[in-house]
Amino acid sequence: MPQNVRDSGWLKLRAMKGARSKVNLVAAVIVSAAVLYAAFFGAGPLPPLGPTFNPATGAWTMALDATIRNETLRLAGLEQPVKVTLESDGTTHIVAQTDHDLFLATGYVHARFRLFQMDLLRRQGEGRLSEVVGKAALESDRFELQLGLLRTAQLEWSALAPDHRARKALVAYSQGVNDRIAQVEADHQLPVMFTLLGYHPRPWTPIDSLIVKGDMTQTLNFNDTPLVMALLQQSLGPNLTGQWFPLVPPNPQSPYDPGPYATQPSVVPIVATAAQPITDQAALAAADVHQRLAALPAGLVATTGGASNNWAVAGAKSTNGGALMAGDPHLHLTLPAIWFQLSMDSPGYHTSGVGIPGTPGVLIGHNQHISWSLTDAQNQQTFYYLEHEDSTHPGQYLWNGVWRKYTMVAYDIPVHGGPTEHLAVKLSVHGPVITERGQTTSVWWAGNIPSQDLDVLMGINQAADYQAFRNALKGWYSPTHNFVYADDRGNIGLISAGYYPQVAAGQPWLPMAGTGENDIIGTIPFDYIPQAYNPPSNFIWSANQRQVTADYPYYIGTGSNFFNPGYRSNEIKRVLSQTGKLSAADMMALQTDTRDFLAGEITPILMQALAGALTGRDQQAADLLGAWDNRMEISSAAATIWWTFWQEYIAQSFDPWWKAKKVSVDRSELNDPLGQYLEALALAGKTVCAPPNCTAAVASACPSVACERLSLTLAFRKAFSTTTAKLTRQFGADPKKWTWGRMHQRTVENLAQIKGLDYGPRPDRGDANTPLAAPGFPSTDGPSWRMVVDWGAGTFQATYPGGQSENPASNWYSDRVDTWWNGEYAAMLTSDQAASSRGAKAWSLNP
Amino acid sequence: MRLAAAAALTAGTAVALVAVMLGVWWAPFVVGIAIGIAFPRARIAIPVGAAAGFLAWGLLLVADQILYGLGPAAQGLGAIMGFGRQAAIPVILTCMVGLLLGLSGAWLGCAGRSLVGPRGGSHLLQWPREGR
Repeated sequence: MPQNVRDSGWLKLRAMKGARSKVNLVAAVIVSAAVLYAAFFGAGPLPPLGPTFNPATGAWTMALDATIRNETLRLAGLEQPVKVTLESDGTTHIVAQTDHDLFLATGYVHARFRLFQMDLLRRQGEGRLSEVVGKAALESDRFELQLGLLRTAQLEWSALAPDHRARKALVAYSQGVNDRIAQVEADHQLPVMFTLLGYHPRPWTPIDSLIVKGDMTQTLNFNDTPLVMALLQQSLGPNLTGQWFPLVPPNPQSPYDPGPYATQPSVVPIVATAAQPITDQAALAAADVHQRLAALPAGLVATTGGASNNWAVAGAKSTNGGALMAGDPHLHLTLPAIWFQLSMDSPGYHTSGVGIPGTPGVLIGHNQHISWSLTDAQNQQTFYYLEHEDSTHPGQYLWNGVWRKYTMVAYDIPVHGGPTEHLAVKLSVHGPVITERGQTTSVWWAGNIPSQDLDVLMGINQAADYQAFRNALKGWYSPTHNFVYADDRGNIGLISAGYYPQVAAGQPWLPMAGTGENDIIGTIPFDYIPQAYNPPSNFIWSANQRQVTADYPYYIGTGSNFFNPGYRSNEIKRVLSQTGKLSAADMMALQTDTRDFLAGEITPILMQALAGALTGRDQQAADLLGAWDNRMEISSAAATIWWTFWQEYIAQSFDPWWKAKKVSVDRSELNDPLGQYLEALALAGKTVCAPPNCTAAVASACPSVACERLSLTLAFRKAFSTTTAKLTRQFGADPKKWTWGRMHQRTVENLAQIKGLDYGPRPDRGDANTPLAAPGFPSTDGPSWRMVVDWGAGTFQATYPGGQSENPASNWYSDRVDTWWNGEYAAMLTSDQAASSRGAKAWSLNP
Repeated sequence: MRLAAAAALTAGTAVALVAVMLGVWWAPFVVGIAIGIAFPRARIAIPVGAAAGFLAWGLLLVADQILYGLGPAAQGLGAIMGFGRQAAIPVILTCMVGLLLGLSGAWLGCAGRSLVGPRGGSHLLQWPREGR
């Protein structure tokens, strides 16, 4: 082969190899870039793979974090050594030599087990969720910044004097949280959710703790009842609205403070007089806000039918001779739970119970002499004002005859993966403007009044008798709570402490004119709020019912649209008022009581209506109901029949009205008040008439006018027939198989809404009306903490549906759920008892 | 050659493991590049780089398992990732990340080196070819 040909072939080969190398390099670069991109920035739903799955510093560190052992640690800011004991279930006991160190160690312990939860809670209130989860949380952030938890917390903080005990506690607590943050940053051991979401916690501040307190206030007391009432009045008319949603509940209830009531002469009772018209513009504004609030994540806004129980029994009625107390606040059940159980001992404090991570102190619990628990008092703390504007005064509103400029506040909302959102919030004298659709509407909310509730809590923690307890509660503003009390001398009490806004005039259950005449003028004086101490009955109770009778001279909220229907309250009163003495075991049995009081009232009437009219499957179903003990147990088919019947009866009675009147509020949102109305009618042998039977001339007044209506017997039979047909379609033809557990389940949801970390769904007992509250399908709310105190025996027992740790790899993530589910309790030990308990671990915290 | 590859694998794994322990999770990629540059043949360099990455991450997981037990953590991660409580998936994914970092690094090293100089040219290490 000629040389030039060989050279040419060689050159071609080299050229081909060179080209192949270049292609190879390009391919290697592309693959490397893809791998590095996915590793640094993530891909699709996957987080950044490198830092996330790094076995040494990524998400796998949750395994190390879940390992609890004896430790000796140095914490910046401590004055003296602190001893921390962890029981085998994570219940924490802190013994400090100074109050400062007690709060610092509390902050450290909370952050050690709940740092991500704490960060979520502060971000929620500060409108900073979008910064870490993206635009999905933007509406929540906008709402929170409008409402103003951050502004209120800043005002509360600035109002605390340098030597105020609450300020000192908040500063020490923040130091403890920041000690933990510094520790995890130095050790590259961030809690798993920070790693997965790819961000680091910023330092904790006292304002963050006040924000967390604000979150709870909002959950329990901010609502849109006046807007719903406006929408109802616009569609149903004032007469029907007044009858179906009256100021005082139409059904029999059990107020714990029956009067007589002392009043101030200047008080003018608010009664439902001639209704003010709801304009189309006001209705548009109401609908806008109502829809907006409905779209927010569950738990941000108080909803109807809130539920909690507490009661106390005086020493004279207890088997041990000492006072008994029980408390089970009902909240949205989450993993991790809202509660963290601990005991706190220092020169100034000896308390045990539960607190909310992010805040110092014990919110529900006991000290050496007194115990306390709380339920939501449900009084109206949210008022809406329609601001008067006109085109000749742009950017202004009329108030007390003067045109005033709105105050403007600007916020930036960083959004993960998107541009920063700029938000301008308008403030009138009433509060933030919540919508400008239709008529500009602002909201006055008691949660926006700067208050020193933490100081109140510290006072309760230190109280040794009722007088000190009561004095401490004088400063409590919001949310209004029914604080039940029992002490080591056999005394019991209940105070519905908080702010009870009073208006000068107007109808506060509706949006009111913002021109000044309907403004909030103050609160009910503390001595006149609902309360009782050592009542003659020797027991006292609250379950979100209206606390007072119709004779109470002050307005505290519409009777049927925010207060609980009263069935739990009635059942608790029924059990406690039985003759004989009561024990701690009786308290526990009542906390897990599944008897539906409403069913107990209505079922006998229903059975009379059905007598002789049924055959076959319907008769079998009726037989089950007739033999039923009114308990909503998993294995009970009668429970399913009862519940479905009552829902069908409400639908049968009101859906025609909703259709005829084009009501924009979902009827099922109002089942509580509508059910109360039907209950009262049924007990009187009456029914609601159907709208087609009313002539146009009297339709607006129906059903008070005489119009044709089904008899109660026929109405009940019709609803029962619909019920059995429905259940047959759903569960088959054999009524014995329609068990409650097939229809009703409960889920304890993961706080970050990660379905795989939920507990359940699992069939569960109870319903919305039973002391063991389990509203919803599946039920996601219920008793978030159960505590029973027996001062006679000196025993304290409790549990909650969750675990002490937010770490899913920890044994303490959900270890208490089964205990709670089974209605069992764990002893609340002292720190000395805990130190010698089996499996306990000890931490020595040193300066 | 086998001895050299084994030595490179051991050294690469050790370096990457220590670096990953210190938080430098991308160390297998760098180690892979070094292996790719050092070895003339891709069919040796790439498996060695991949194995070094796999081992660096995998051995740390093994250490975690021995020290703390990884079952609940793996189940939790699986749940968070939307796979239910499937513990195997996050473990496999973790090892895959280490492997891919080492593999892509080694491939890039090899490819870059082959472009810069001819085989046996001015590279850092020149291993004798087997069978010559």
